[in-house]
Amino acid sequence: MHVYIYDDYLNKSKYNKSVNRMEIRLTDLGLNGKIIRLGGIKNIKGTIQNEIKLGAKTIVAVGNNQTVNKIIGAIIDTDIYGDFQKKTLLGIIPIGSDNSIAASFGIKNEEDACNILLARRIEKIDLGLVGDYYFLNEASIESYGTNINLEDYSLEPEEKGTIRIINLLSDKINNINSNPHDGLLDVIINTRKKSQTILKLDKFNIVNKNEQLLVDGVISVKTPVDISVVRDRVSVIVGKDRSFQ
Amino acid sequence: MFNRDNKLEKFKDAETIIGASIKVKGNFHGQGNIVIEGMLEGSLKTDANIFIGEKARVVANVEAKDLVVNGEIKGNIKVKSYLSLGGTAKINGDIQYGELSIEKGATVNGQLTAVNDISKKDNREVENIKTIEE
Repeated sequence: MHVYIYDDYLNKSKYNKSVNRMEIRLTDLGLNGKIIRLGGIKNIKGTIQNEIKLGAKTIVAVGNNQTVNKIIGAIIDTDIYGDFQKKTLLGIIPIGSDNSIAASFGIKNEEDACNILLARRIEKIDLGLVGDYYFLNEASIESYGTNINLEDYSLEPEEKGTIRIINLLSDKINNINSNPHDGLLDVIINTRKKSQTILKLDKFNIVNKNEQLLVDGVISVKTPVDISVVRDRVSVIVGKDRSFQ
Repeated sequence: MFNRDNKLEKFKDAETIIGASIKVKGNFHGQGNIVIEGMLEGSLKTDANIFIGEKARVVANVEAKDLVVNGEIKGNIKVKSYLSLGGTAKINGDIQYGELSIEKGATVNGQLTAVNDISKKDNREVENIKTIEE
């Protein structure tokens, strides 16, 4: 059974057309399932976990990056993760903006997403871990005043700029094409004087006394914090035009 | 691998790049190609190749298969295969190399030693260069 988790922002009238179009396409393809609207639910985690216990074959995030993160947060490191890993897949139907995760999986729009759900092309994906928070895309922090500490060495940016810690992202402008299968995070430091630093790291610690780390553009995390990558943590239905192999 | 010149283009596929505004402290050891444009203190080692940029400052012993230096290194250098010193290179330390090229303007304070038979010819050439410069 498919379970569609609609994010609460989809209640806005401007998304009606997209939602209708998606629902018609799902019906045409015979992919109907149970719909859960997060807008009316207080215990999101409990609701999603209950659906997995009831035997959901696919949990589909209908919304944006934050919707996907809410679902991952409800599944990973919980009692039902074992069941999820054995029986359940994660699907994504992007609606609206802030959908870089779906784009990385080769999912262009809601109609394309429906076709991809039908094809069921499956990839096991690494997740980044910042403290207690898992992330699919990236975490970022101001570079000046930040120290990146590893077992054998440390890095200290001496200019203002941005440190990006990337698990899965395709950014052709900045020449970033990360691989969520390699067990490594891409650390990219861009400073104001157009200096770029690129590293592939698996485990490190970040410290900045004044700035917080922003995880997938949503969650702010205080430092010092440990950062690592967890291999093949979640099975996702992906498109053939995904940004990685 | 890179051709026998001192240009960064050969390192476009480098897995690790340390930018000009970054300071690295400690033992920086890798397996792929490394580009250093910033500052590094400690030790620097890879099984592949290293490029040291013009404005880079490295206070470390350096080990690599091939090494291109355009900046400053204070420390001993051990290169299995090919070492290229650009015109802006400044080396304070002993050097072991397989093959060697030195561009006019490079400075070396230390002992140069060829580590295999193939490079004996290069070693002699270096001695000649030093003699001419003196």
